[in-house]
Amino acid sequence: MKVVGKHIPHDSAVGHVTGEALFVDDLPSAKDELIVDFIASPVAHGKIIRFNFEELSQLDGIAGIFTHADLPGHNLFGPVIQDERFLAEDIVEYVGQPIAVIAGESRKAVRQAKKQLQLEIEELAPVFTIDEALAAKQFIGEARELKKGDFEKVWNEAEHKIAGTFLCNGQEQFYLESQAALAWRGENGEILVHSSSQNPTEIQEVVAEALGLGFHEVVCVCKRMGGGFGGKETQAVIPAVMAALVAAKTGRSARVAYTKDDDMRSTGKRHPYKIYYKAGFTGAGKITGVKFDIYSNGGAAADLSTAILERTLLHSDNSYFIPNLVFRAMICKTNFPPNTAFRGFGGPQGMANIENVLQEISIVLKKDALEVRRLNCYGHNDQNVTPYGQIVQNHMLPEIIDQLAETSSYKKRLTEVAEFNRKSVTHLRGLALTPLKFGISFTTSFLNQGNALVNVYKDGTVQVSTGGTEMGQGLNTKIRQLVAEEFAISYDDVRIMITSTEKNNNTSPTAASAGTDLNGMAAVNACQKIRRNLTEFASRYFSAPENGIVPSIEHIHFEAGSVYDDRLPENKLTFRKLVLQAYMGQVSLGERGFYKTPGVNLNRETGKGNPFFYFTSGAAVSEVLIDRFTGQLKLERSDILMDIGESINPGIDRGQIIGGFIQGVGWVTNEDLRYSDKGQLLSYSPTTYKIPNIQDLPDIFNLETLENPQHKINIRRSKAVGEPPLMLCLSVWMAVKHALSSVRNDITPRLNLPATAEEILQRLTELNGDLSNPETTAVRATESEVSLVSLPSISG
Amino acid sequence: MRDYLLIYVNGRRYQVSGAQGFQSLSDFLRYDLGLVGTKVVCAEGDCGSCTVLVGRIGLPNSEGDSKLNYQSINSCIQYLYQLDCAHIITVEALKNKEQIHPIQQAMVDAMGSQCGYCTPGFVMSLAAMQEKEEVMTRKSVQDGLTGNLCRCTGYEQIIDAALNLDAKPVPSVTENFDEKTILSDFAVYLTQAVFCEFEENWNGVARKLKYFVPVSLAEAVSFQQKNDNVTVVAGGTDISVQINKERIEPDCIMSLVHLSELKSIFVDEQFVTVGARVSWSELGKFCQKNLPQLAEIIAIFASPQIKNCGTLAGNIANASPIADSLPFLYVIEAEVELTSPDGVRWLEINQFYQGYKKLAMNPDELITSIRWQMQDPDDLLKLYKVSKRKDLDISTFTAGIYIKMNNNKIQISRLAYGGVGPVVLRLPETEQFLYNKALTLETFLQAGKIAREEIQPISDVRSSADYRLQLAENILMKFYYECCKHQVKKA
Repeated sequence: MKVVGKHIPHDSAVGHVTGEALFVDDLPSAKDELIVDFIASPVAHGKIIRFNFEELSQLDGIAGIFTHADLPGHNLFGPVIQDERFLAEDIVEYVGQPIAVIAGESRKAVRQAKKQLQLEIEELAPVFTIDEALAAKQFIGEARELKKGDFEKVWNEAEHKIAGTFLCNGQEQFYLESQAALAWRGENGEILVHSSSQNPTEIQEVVAEALGLGFHEVVCVCKRMGGGFGGKETQAVIPAVMAALVAAKTGRSARVAYTKDDDMRSTGKRHPYKIYYKAGFTGAGKITGVKFDIYSNGGAAADLSTAILERTLLHSDNSYFIPNLVFRAMICKTNFPPNTAFRGFGGPQGMANIENVLQEISIVLKKDALEVRRLNCYGHNDQNVTPYGQIVQNHMLPEIIDQLAETSSYKKRLTEVAEFNRKSVTHLRGLALTPLKFGISFTTSFLNQGNALVNVYKDGTVQVSTGGTEMGQGLNTKIRQLVAEEFAISYDDVRIMITSTEKNNNTSPTAASAGTDLNGMAAVNACQKIRRNLTEFASRYFSAPENGIVPSIEHIHFEAGSVYDDRLPENKLTFRKLVLQAYMGQVSLGERGFYKTPGVNLNRETGKGNPFFYFTSGAAVSEVLIDRFTGQLKLERSDILMDIGESINPGIDRGQIIGGFIQGVGWVTNEDLRYSDKGQLLSYSPTTYKIPNIQDLPDIFNLETLENPQHKINIRRSKAVGEPPLMLCLSVWMAVKHALSSVRNDITPRLNLPATAEEILQRLTELNGDLSNPETTAVRATESEVSLVSLPSISG
Repeated sequence: MRDYLLIYVNGRRYQVSGAQGFQSLSDFLRYDLGLVGTKVVCAEGDCGSCTVLVGRIGLPNSEGDSKLNYQSINSCIQYLYQLDCAHIITVEALKNKEQIHPIQQAMVDAMGSQCGYCTPGFVMSLAAMQEKEEVMTRKSVQDGLTGNLCRCTGYEQIIDAALNLDAKPVPSVTENFDEKTILSDFAVYLTQAVFCEFEENWNGVARKLKYFVPVSLAEAVSFQQKNDNVTVVAGGTDISVQINKERIEPDCIMSLVHLSELKSIFVDEQFVTVGARVSWSELGKFCQKNLPQLAEIIAIFASPQIKNCGTLAGNIANASPIADSLPFLYVIEAEVELTSPDGVRWLEINQFYQGYKKLAMNPDELITSIRWQMQDPDDLLKLYKVSKRKDLDISTFTAGIYIKMNNNKIQISRLAYGGVGPVVLRLPETEQFLYNKALTLETFLQAGKIAREEIQPISDVRSSADYRLQLAENILMKFYYECCKHQVKKA
């Protein structure tokens, strides 16, 4: 009756398909419920002069309007640097920034009242781009630097060199369930918040601080989220505070559910990046040294930008050994919503940059890019040290690349693609294989902890609660499996209970792909404690001194729903009966478990350490077809190979891999955040912001996992799988670059990210034009002409 | 005349009037009936999370029996005044007793859900495919689910679910209901128009609103004449979005849902005539056989949910410069039938638009049909739609190209571009240039350069002006390679 490793449907699957699985805004309304909304800044940067909130609050159906002045506690928050206001005070710093909370008897009343808003704001000069922020010297946090070897020396001596600019845009998380919260005021001013949040502990703490309460006076619960992807790691805080503030002020229950439009306009996204790169390499394609000057667009407040930038630094090597390097990085402060976590957390941008570098090396050397990638790939016994000093151990990167190249017929198809491109006047094809290596653990080492509560009931059934939140990733399903396995009972006898700060305190966000690693281990730890109690009890229960069988825990086994002593195996008890007997024997049947990841650390001063417990890795090879006249792209085929250890639930992991990959494909192709020159997001709903739909799947789509016998750590020898597959999408982006590089052989084509049809056609038009004439090298040429020399010096 | 709408939801009968009828179906389901299984994400028909089935009386069969025909719709952009005499089935009603429906079971088994927020919509779209008795193939499933976005799964496991479903006979989701009772109820009420009027008071300001659901064209024309500022709703796929997003606040609605006179496609020797109530789904089916070029555009431009509601007439009335049908209608020189109390007149589409969203029709006129001449099979006709995402996306640029040859020379050419100006534009200079030219690459290279000069597109959320200019030029080369090269070889 093995439960772990089985293909068991999602814990809530039946609720999902019947519509019975409830999300925050589906929860029944209390009779006294108020509808909560907010008044948002219409400008990107300005000074609030006057408003008519007092007048609005008197309108029919309006219960109140609240500003920062109404917060009993403080108005500042931030997961790392406390620099963000719940509600704007004098200054607004981005379009969509909440200024006031409005509460009314009905949605209609709130909508009507908002139409009567008079808000006068004196506009101040905004800063939008990384270049503008550099010019204005507007930064968030400290400059970071990671160094190894002597880059300047190898650069000066390099046989070949490239230099250029990598530009990527942001990405909207586009969880289907927009931000939502429901708050109740209980006795003695206590607050209960239902929040669609990846981080109930942070909601609890921040609500308490905003309302001037102790943490013990606030409970945050989260049953499930309709998607999170990082977008609800910190940014669920503002709606939760809105609802809690109204509940606290009015004593009535308060519900806020953002519209998709408001959600997209007022919340942060994946960070846009600009990276100036230099790389020296040998004639064979071996990198001798790189220098990356990395800038992220952080938006108006720090949010998680510093941690995200750190992960960029730690992933700018991707799967490649770089002997000499300088990575310098800074966060630019701009007038956009604070950019935040999104699956990959800074990893994708760093990895995209180095993949681009490797592709360009292959173009310069007129070599197959796969050969160049393989040459630089981390090895087992040598070239296996990361820029931060951690050794890449027990990995399968070269094996993954080789096996995938083989099973996807890479070589043969590369020849076919070249042939096609020679012949076709209407279309272009491109093919690329990119590996990925993603470090698992929070790089803020203390966050690598989790706790769990396991209760065994008298009928032998079990309830488990952890600090982990369910956002679709299947965490609850896996924990149910793990717990059932520990007691050798059926999956159906285990239930995962709602996540609540009342049961699990001081929890880390469900993030960094570590949800199952941390919470699963904590749950197992609790189970083991109970099992220990039960084993002791059973050893006494089964003992028969008259037959020479003295109590001995070594002889007790839990198997297929039963417990027995292997010296008297026919004397077995069902788990249920044993539990009842143990209860009557006054044995504790509930325990809390705790887990912390061993041995992870990072010294931020030196940039060295072992920040990751292990790496999840994989590779993808993708083939694209491009219309030469419109630039439109079709993903024709993708093959994926991943090392995810021993899967706890292969069906769930398959879903994570495919879902992550397709989400990444959206980032590198069609997801195009466009803003007005006033900083208003123009693509703020699915009409204009196009995430992949079902027609965008590759026609041929193969997915395999491989055995990694060297991987012996982590829960049941599994590996985290949440974020890593997203970065398989770089195969698609690089396939586009490969296609462009076949247009002419005297030049390395540029390609920004995302590779929209517009971007691709612009590159094609450039390549087809006369490149000696600067007039034809199009609009964005200026971007890459920023000289490296003119960069402000940033020191670590 | 009735003063209430008659709507069935999951087999239960509701009479709805006044302000309650002036709301979206999704609001009615979630807030009035507590059926929260139907989710709302975008409130604009672009994500499909709110998909439900709507059953309406179909045409009688040979025995004279009618049945309810079920289709998927986006409940967020169907207002109740569009749903008179309709039976709505939501995800809550798919269970039979405590047994979940095989479609639901297939989704569970294939792990077709992750976060679950989009899942009810996918289940309902699959149910709609099953109602249409579609054979499940990878392609048909992709087409059937084009209108449903999922951010978690990457769709593969949903396709698995659908393909696994095909192997088994699946009971119709409609079997849980007593259709006879509903049908006989509808048969009685469908003969009566609905008129509701109500007042809203807010902070001492009163606002009068009304909606009218005529059952004959004569009633419709007369209402249009007697009332000012009538907002005419056929499929509502645009107007309901505008209302949801508070871009318009109509106070007098006329819903054409019951005008069966306008629901047919007539073909005679001279014309194809499409009634104003013909849905895109119906027109698409017709075009598959008769007009593959337009069928291709219809296949990608919208979702099943939208195409089941939206109409060609609505696309024309909406007057968007990127309306997907217009380049076709322009180059085929279609005519629009306008009906008023004074009678009927036909207006050529190229004369129909006088500026951005400005139509050459009088306030008392209704668009009742569209017709065009059957084309000579030897003529070249090609339609292009460029959008960020291929499927279910508003166009960045559209083009219609029509060429008639004589003696290996271009005798007539008509070029229409959308997305390059305030209205869809014909390109007279390019057309003039093409006259009497041979079908060569050089011809189209030059034509592209001229076309580029004829337009002044803007930059917006969908693309830069530069991209549109480049497309305007390139599309003629694309046309050459796709249509003419082949043509020349044949000759």
